[in-house]
Amino acid sequence: MKKLKKNKLLLLFLVFTSMISNTVVGQDSIVAKEIVKLQYFNRNNSLQYLILESILKKGKQIEPQKSKAFKIFLDKDQPENLVAKVMTDDNGKAKAIIPPQLKSIWDSAEQHNFLVVAEASGKEGETPSEFTIRKAKISIDTSSADGTKNISVTVMKYKNGEWLAAKDVEMKIGVQRLGGILPAGESDSYTTDSTGIATSEFKKDSLPGNEYGDLMLVARVEDNDELGNLIVEKPVPWGVVTKTDNGFFNQRALWSTRFRTPLWLLFMAYTIVIGVWGTIIYLVVQLVKIKKIANSTA
Amino acid sequence: MENIAAFSNEQITRDLLPQKFGRRGMIWTGILVLLCLTGAYAYYRQLKYGLVVTSMRDYVSWGIYISNFVFFVAISLVGSLITAIFRLANVKWSTPLTRIAEIIAVSAIVFASLIIIVDMGRPERFMNLFLHGRIQSPIMWDVIVIGTYFFISCLLLYFPLLPDLKILIAFKEKSGKALNKLYRFQGSFWKGTKEQFQISDKAINILCIIIVPVAFCIHTVTSWLFATTYRPGWDSTNFGAYFISGAFLVGAGGVVVAMYIFRKSYHLEKYITEKHFEKMGRIVVLLALLYLYFNINEYLIPAFKMKKPEEAHLTQLFTGEFAALFWFAISIGMIIPILILLFKKGRRPLPVFIAGIMVVIGAWFKRYLIVTPTLLHPFLPMQNVPESYHHYFPSWEEWAIAIGSLSGALLVITFFARIYPIIPIHEIITEQHEEAEKK
Repeated sequence: MKKLKKNKLLLLFLVFTSMISNTVVGQDSIVAKEIVKLQYFNRNNSLQYLILESILKKGKQIEPQKSKAFKIFLDKDQPENLVAKVMTDDNGKAKAIIPPQLKSIWDSAEQHNFLVVAEASGKEGETPSEFTIRKAKISIDTSSADGTKNISVTVMKYKNGEWLAAKDVEMKIGVQRLGGILPAGESDSYTTDSTGIATSEFKKDSLPGNEYGDLMLVARVEDNDELGNLIVEKPVPWGVVTKTDNGFFNQRALWSTRFRTPLWLLFMAYTIVIGVWGTIIYLVVQLVKIKKIANSTA
Repeated sequence: MENIAAFSNEQITRDLLPQKFGRRGMIWTGILVLLCLTGAYAYYRQLKYGLVVTSMRDYVSWGIYISNFVFFVAISLVGSLITAIFRLANVKWSTPLTRIAEIIAVSAIVFASLIIIVDMGRPERFMNLFLHGRIQSPIMWDVIVIGTYFFISCLLLYFPLLPDLKILIAFKEKSGKALNKLYRFQGSFWKGTKEQFQISDKAINILCIIIVPVAFCIHTVTSWLFATTYRPGWDSTNFGAYFISGAFLVGAGGVVVAMYIFRKSYHLEKYITEKHFEKMGRIVVLLALLYLYFNINEYLIPAFKMKKPEEAHLTQLFTGEFAALFWFAISIGMIIPILILLFKKGRRPLPVFIAGIMVVIGAWFKRYLIVTPTLLHPFLPMQNVPESYHHYFPSWEEWAIAIGSLSGALLVITFFARIYPIIPIHEIITEQHEEAEKK
């Protein structure tokens, strides 16, 4: 029995050490994989830009690739199709705006491929990463009926030489706040119907707006496989007017200008100064008195 | 003082009248003038080329000028200690020391004001402090309180001098024409009548009362220049008391040094006796212990907590770049003087004088350590700045100006002792009479 126990322990030890060594060897044998992601953004149907992200995946670890140079091309790996040369930042990301000189190439097709080529990789024959995007546009409209405010967002895609309604496109509809998009209705996301329209009722009453009471409505399609990222914004006077309180800067405080000294400080300072200097003046008068006594004695 | 009772009025007067410089006096004055002129030349260079001639940069914007300023303000506090507090407490033995203390106070406060102007990049804009000053700023409080303290100290020097001026005028043949003219201008109206004495005594009493809070204010406000700034090493609610205790110590140290030098130079052994050194020694040791106590508070508690922003500052002081200077200042400014003065043999004139010198030197470096290391440890890391911004060592211009200002203060004291009696003649005679009457 004792022997069995001893053997069991030995067996357990062997299993444990072999597991550890396997893990260590396994970790060493994991090949690092370089992943490049490209996201297309269309903001208000006017500004089009791309965000490139380069990461190194090693097992379960993901590491951003800093200061790595890439070339982005539109459709063809040719100098005239160059969108931008970019360098990744500390987060492994880089941004490129699609330049106006590529307009004719952009207009010439319904969908486009973006080719990402790593510069100075030392691998001449490396296959470029490809990302396909279909041309699309997004619009936002508002309506009010019986005290109900509605927001409708239309998404269209360019196909077969015409703009067609893009159905089943998921998006967020809401109000732009500092921390992100605050949903306008009760749902967090909406999907376009067969007519390419998604509708949300505006239920966020009494939201603080700007000095005129304006809120910025936003509809955002995120990471759509076919259309990329589409964003549209529209200011609406549905918020509460926010008045900036400038009184803060006009109050009497220790940090204010000399014309806004706190009254308690003025009172204390002047009391002390007048008290002490009054005494000094009194003492000077005493000196004059001593002098006068001398004159009268003479 | 008890043996003075045996001297006649004439002898006391003869002993205490100002004396012409001897050979040593001339050399001493010559050296001081030379140092002042070097300082003036360095300041001329600073005016011509700007503050770039100093080693002060974006981070260390307060260098030895401000350390010197704090030192001057500290030593000026002695006027209120010896003159006012002892007078109000009816401490008679301190009478021969009152004028020494007051002239140290006046000269120190004059140079404290001047060194602040030296620290300004655009001194021609000095008047803007008054024209556009904000009463909310501790700098403005400092300007007001320094001005006030200067006037009060001058009055406290002047009122007790009036009876002595009468004596000086009477000894025309000894003082010479020019000085006699000065004495007449300053005190010819003093006839020594009962009414004049009454007014003068009352004025001196008022001055003694008023100078104590003003003196406390001057150094507390100076400490607030630091403490109202949120920085490692300065962010303390204890700074006012810490500065005042340090000021009393350096002031008392300064007085014992001056006592010894005047005693030796003018042969005043009958008036500044061993008993004075014994008593001043006791005061210095008490003040050194008090200042040591505040130092332990100021450094031990932050070191115990070792908050991250304080860590770099404290490490630099205890074991880093400033460690040698820090432990030098602590030991020479407090610990060694305490060890000397705790023993009766250590309270003889020479050991007290040596301890006094240690206290003064230690105090100067202590001010430097209060001002500079903190500025080298801001809360935000120093990034993308030239290497020179990370360190501070004063340029020769700064040293020359600082030493020149210290020499200037000593020169004022030297000239004062040449022109006026450094021990109040009239008060000594009066006290002798009072003692004789008691007997």
